[in-house]
Amino acid sequence: MSVSMIITRPDHDDVTHYLHSWSEQIISEAESKNVKVVDLEKNRAIRREVENVLEKIPAQIVIFNGHGSDSSIADHNFEVLIKSGENESLLKSKIVYAISCSSGKILGPKSIDAGAISFTGYDDIFFLARDPIKISRPLEDGLAELFLKHSNVFVISLIKGNSVSDSFEKSKFIMKENFTKLLAGGDSKSSVARYLWWNYKHFVSHGNLNATI
Amino acid sequence: MNAIRSDIKELVIARLEVLPPNIKVSLGNMDFTKEQLVEHVKKEDDIGKKIVEVELEFIRALKEGEVV
Repeated sequence: MSVSMIITRPDHDDVTHYLHSWSEQIISEAESKNVKVVDLEKNRAIRREVENVLEKIPAQIVIFNGHGSDSSIADHNFEVLIKSGENESLLKSKIVYAISCSSGKILGPKSIDAGAISFTGYDDIFFLARDPIKISRPLEDGLAELFLKHSNVFVISLIKGNSVSDSFEKSKFIMKENFTKLLAGGDSKSSVARYLWWNYKHFVSHGNLNATI
Repeated sequence: MNAIRSDIKELVIARLEVLPPNIKVSLGNMDFTKEQLVEHVKKEDDIGKKIVEVELEFIRALKEGEVV
C-alpha cells in the first residue's frame, strides 16, 4: 500500500518561518522512503485548500505546522484551518501531529472522538527560543534546534514505520537530552532550559498509540 | 492567577535577568526579548502571568526532582 502524507507549512511570521524551514527535512526523508508528500506551503496552507486535500487524498499522516489554540490550528493568514466542532472529522483515520500551541488540549481529544487514529501535539503554549540573527538561515540556528529537533524526530520515526508510541518516546528522549545538554552547559543559554522543559511537559499524544502508517 | 506576590515577581525577574541578551523567546505568535519578558512580568499582564507560571512550575519540578 502506498503511503501519503499531507503537511501544512504556513510562512507568515518568524515562528512559522522557522517551522517552514525545519520541516523541509521531514519532506526529504518522506520522499526518500517513497512517501507521497502533499506539501501545502505558504498560500496553499489555507482552510479551503486543506479541506479539499483532506477530502480527496487518503493520506495516513497529517502534519500541521502553525499557530494554535486549545481548539484550533491556524493557517497561513492566521485564520482558522482546523477547529473542533467545525471540521475535525476530516482527520478521521489519520495519524495527526501538530506543532502548534495548545491544540493537544481540546482539538486533539475531539479529533480522536471524530475518528482520528492519533493526535500528537502540545496541550499548552509551545516555546521557541532562537537567535534573531539567524532569521534568514533558521537551519543554522543551534538554539532553535534544541527546541525543534524532537519534532522532526517524531515524524521521521513515524515515516520509518515505528508506532506513535515509540516515535513519541524517541522524541521525548531527544527533548530530555537537549534539556540536559543545556543545563550542563552552565552558561547563560542554560537558562532557556525552563522553556524546553515546559514543551517536554506539555507534549501529549492521544488515541491509538500502537498505530503505525 | 490573581495579583502576583511581590517577592515572587522579584524572584521571576531575577531569573529572567540571566537569559542571554541576544535571543528571542516566542510564545505562540509573539516574540520577546529578555527585557520585554521582564516588562510583562512587571505589568502582570497575561504574558507576564504565563511567564511566572512557567518559572514557578520549573522551580517546583527542580525541587521535586522531576527535572533531570
